[in-house]
Amino acid sequence: MSESFEEFRKSFSYGTRSDLSFKFLKSMSDEQAARFFQQLLESIGESYDTGELDPLIQLAYEAQIGAHAPDDTPFRWGYEDRPFTHIRKPLHESRVGLLTSSGHFAAGDDPEPFGVADMTQQEAEDRISEFLREAPQLSAIPANIDAADLRVRHGGYDVRSVRKDHNVAFPRDHLFDAARSGRIGEVAPTLYSFTGAAAQGRVRKEASQWAQQLLDDRIDVLLLVPV
Amino acid sequence: MSVGHVAREIEQAGIATVSIYVRSFRHVAEQMGVPRTVITRNPMGRPLGAPGDVERQKAAFEAALQLVESARSGGALQELEDPYRPGHL
Repeated sequence: MSESFEEFRKSFSYGTRSDLSFKFLKSMSDEQAARFFQQLLESIGESYDTGELDPLIQLAYEAQIGAHAPDDTPFRWGYEDRPFTHIRKPLHESRVGLLTSSGHFAAGDDPEPFGVADMTQQEAEDRISEFLREAPQLSAIPANIDAADLRVRHGGYDVRSVRKDHNVAFPRDHLFDAARSGRIGEVAPTLYSFTGAAAQGRVRKEASQWAQQLLDDRIDVLLLVPV
Repeated sequence: MSVGHVAREIEQAGIATVSIYVRSFRHVAEQMGVPRTVITRNPMGRPLGAPGDVERQKAAFEAALQLVESARSGGALQELEDPYRPGHL
């Protein structure tokens, strides 16, 4: 089998070597990707002696930023206005909510994308292009849910981290700590999450309805976490 | 981009919002006019910090609360300087 370097680096983005932590290789030029691999190997060579992983992590982090840097193509969803609402009361009197695009949901309340029951993470990755054409579905999650009943599935990012510790993208425990210490008034009884990989025009449309839901929940401040 | 749309719509509906983005998406938050943004220097998929790094996660969370208290106009943005580090599970 003969494979070009371009085919190789693109295979990490939903291809034969799919790895959502490194799907950015697809957006690099061949030259950038080659330099990245060379520096990576050099750094591994160093770590044989030093045992330090930080330079490796930093290298991958910077490559990710470089691959996502804006280029000359116009950004489709840019806006000129800057919406702003003043807080109504001090935080220690405020009800704080959470809404993330991390794809969390409660066990027993699977949003069942495309009508598929118990969709696996792998299937979500395999069907990413279908997700990107669909409207997002908002999952309501009881704030006091047992951590063992919190599920996550999202075809657009590497979910291994959040599966180890949901607070990485769904900081429920930090909200409760802040309520206990009096930093915030209270945690909203219902928290929310959706799969951010969705048709953007339809996200915008759905979001205005979600806003009404949050007003009904009497939320004063909303923390949002994209992934 | 999804959260940018959601933040804008909810802010316009009268609820103050704050969003925690990783550095790779900073330009998205800026160009979409996200009302209040905290940027963390973490890899994608780990917006608040590494799994088990309670200290950094709490720092990002607290920075978001402080931005809610301090922001006086839309497009407020603060980038945290701490580099990513693995946590303790």
